[in-house]
Amino acid sequence: MTLDEKRWVVAALSFMFLGALLIVAWVEGGRQRVQPEAAPVVAGESARCYDCHAEQTPVIATQWAGSEHARLGVGCFECHRAIESDADGFLHEGQLIATIATPKDCQSCHADIVDEFDRSHHSRAAEFVGSLDNVLGEIVEGRLAAVNGCWQCHGSPVRFLETADGEVQRDSDGKPMLDPQTWPNTGIGRINLDGSQGSCSACHSRHAFTTKMARQPEVCGKCHMGPDHPQIEIFEESKHGIAFRTQIDEMNLDAETWVLGEDYSAAPTCSTCHMSATPNQPITHDVGARISWTLRPVVSTKLENWEPKRNAMKDTCNQCHAPDFVDAFYVTFDDSIEMYNEKFAIPAQNVMAALREADLLTPTPFDEEIEWTFFRLWHHEGRRARMGVSMQGPDYTQWHGFFEVAENFYTHFLPQAEEIGEGTASVEAVFEEIRAMPEHLWREGMSPEQRAEIDAFYQERYGAVPR
Amino acid sequence: MTMTAGPAVTPESSSWATWLASRVPIDLEALRHFSNEPVPNHLKYWWWCLGGTPALLFGVQAVTGILLTVYYIPDAGSAYESVDRLTTVIPFGWFIRSIHRWASHLMIAAVILHVMRVFFTGAYRAPRELNWMLGVLLLAVTLGFGFTGYSLVWEQLSYWGVTVAANLTDAVPVVGGVMGRMLRGGESVGSNTLTRLFILHIGVMPTLLTLLLAGHILLIRLHGVTEFEFESPDKAPDEAARTYPFFPHHAMTEVIIGVGLAFALTCLAVIFPAELAEKANPLETPAHIKPEWYFFWTFRWLKLTSLTFAVLSIGFAGFLALIWPYIDERLRRRNTASEASVYVGAVAVVVLLVLTIWEAMASS
Repeated sequence: MTLDEKRWVVAALSFMFLGALLIVAWVEGGRQRVQPEAAPVVAGESARCYDCHAEQTPVIATQWAGSEHARLGVGCFECHRAIESDADGFLHEGQLIATIATPKDCQSCHADIVDEFDRSHHSRAAEFVGSLDNVLGEIVEGRLAAVNGCWQCHGSPVRFLETADGEVQRDSDGKPMLDPQTWPNTGIGRINLDGSQGSCSACHSRHAFTTKMARQPEVCGKCHMGPDHPQIEIFEESKHGIAFRTQIDEMNLDAETWVLGEDYSAAPTCSTCHMSATPNQPITHDVGARISWTLRPVVSTKLENWEPKRNAMKDTCNQCHAPDFVDAFYVTFDDSIEMYNEKFAIPAQNVMAALREADLLTPTPFDEEIEWTFFRLWHHEGRRARMGVSMQGPDYTQWHGFFEVAENFYTHFLPQAEEIGEGTASVEAVFEEIRAMPEHLWREGMSPEQRAEIDAFYQERYGAVPR
Repeated sequence: MTMTAGPAVTPESSSWATWLASRVPIDLEALRHFSNEPVPNHLKYWWWCLGGTPALLFGVQAVTGILLTVYYIPDAGSAYESVDRLTTVIPFGWFIRSIHRWASHLMIAAVILHVMRVFFTGAYRAPRELNWMLGVLLLAVTLGFGFTGYSLVWEQLSYWGVTVAANLTDAVPVVGGVMGRMLRGGESVGSNTLTRLFILHIGVMPTLLTLLLAGHILLIRLHGVTEFEFESPDKAPDEAARTYPFFPHHAMTEVIIGVGLAFALTCLAVIFPAELAEKANPLETPAHIKPEWYFFWTFRWLKLTSLTFAVLSIGFAGFLALIWPYIDERLRRRNTASEASVYVGAVAVVVLLVLTIWEAMASS
């Protein structure tokens, strides 16, 4: 090949190379063009809202722009629009809107979901005014403890600020002023000004409203935690929680549908067991639809229609476990709740009833030490034990649960009750009943042989006997 | 004190050329002479130019490798994710990674072909034995580049490939245990191993390869390219007919190869872009896994023999390859017409091919 011929070959190859680079640029352009397809659809009245709020509240606008709502063209106005009869409606830039988007607003697109939610305990979470919890929060501790504590999870009625003559206060733009003690509030049972109950943003945080977030336990953990209902802590110590935390990358949390066994199988979350779909049942927003016991009162009871509810839960369990495995769990779960009821809850409840019948306690809650002791026994320790069993958290069942129940019952509650009821026959009769129960006979004392066995264990294991 | 004069600067030279020539006093004429030796006519055919091809591809690897290092994170917890991000998010990341991957395959293929050509044409014989040895070392470093490169991706092949390599190292008698721990950075393959592989891939090996390559090219230039031997010297054409100038003729051939490679690599990157397999999972030994094609023969050999025997035999074969010019010299001292090297080479190629094809066809 002559030098000139080589030059021609170089020129031809160079053109081919440049052509190939153009194809590379085209391929890269195609990859970049994927982004605009996900751009928000800002339509109708929402266009004006978005233009302004993208400047004024860019974070909110950005959160919404990345949402499924944005992709589908559900904008600001679709959720915040108000009608004449809405008490909190006000004119803003020529449109009648309301600050708070309620389940009634969501219902226009998500009717089935709102119906399910209406049937749930979540929707009635703010109805706790008559409870001892409310007495503690609002009165014993102080109203603002309830405002910033209880109400932020349970929700509260949303109210306006009113003038001295009972009129709704309005700001200089005519916007009705909401009582700061009742708004902001994303408590799940919030009672809204339009009469609806609930706050969808409790789980689907505004303004992204992701299902991914609601599928994760952290969302539930805002409220389902702490000394009286530590579900998130129990979940975290359970094998379920460990599987979730260690395999979160395989949870397919972004999936459009999220059917256990089809879209994911690495681990369950709160949502998986209580709400999400399985191949045999659809998703539900009634969080109690698969719960068979109530573990919240002094004495636990099975709920109305508990059998179909349990079967629904078992169906979820059976996606990952063999039926025998699930049945065996429910046998020990039921037995454990019965044990708590029979051994501690019913006797303690009988003691408190006897003390009240004998007029040894005032009608005012929490003005006597034993009322605090009793409250802690069932409301904190008793729930921890029961919930620990229900969600397979061994440490919460035992050390944070039954151990503390027993310690309280034997070393605080009964001694306090015996001191108050001493000399009152009706109360002492209850104590006698308790002493005679086989579960409490251990207090009669153990044999020297049993004690020697314990001592020998410690001597062998630690070289010393705890005394 | 007197200063020696710099290179001659002609009156026509521009002012910047004069300035440069006085600051960098290189004898351009001598340089031109040194770099423009006539090369034999057979180099007009590209298949005789395979020695330059890996050097060109090494340049491609250096550039694309530096770009990849901008985003790559050498940590067991982040490596795979950083490669994933490079491949799916970073603009042109997929292209750079694909070029790097394909260039590595082509570079290894070109080095192997070059070694075979040199071997079968006897170009390693005196006085070029040392250059052959540098070439064998270059082949070893190139294979090392390939191994450490695909290990950095931290997919299942990476993790289990390193695990096999570390086990092989353990099997080396006496020092194997220490070497294995040094490679792993502890008792098990993990972040420490990845850091070591990263340093080897982007630091140690490029330095080593650059030095070996410089020595290799220098020796080629000092000895000149091997010419064909003719049965009788009087039948050989004179030098002018046997050779042609390096510049611009041979340089233009290298340019053709370079641009052709650029075109081929771009097409391969677009049509078969580098993908990402499953992430490394120490808890899950894959049922079906194979190394890259250039290690198929070692993998099959491992399956056929014991670990220690495989390590020792592969090491011994490598050592024989390294010192082959001296073995060949001994053979030819007994029989000057000996073609033993051709037979040995042919057997070696057939054995390697059989092992490679056997492994390629095996399902696991």
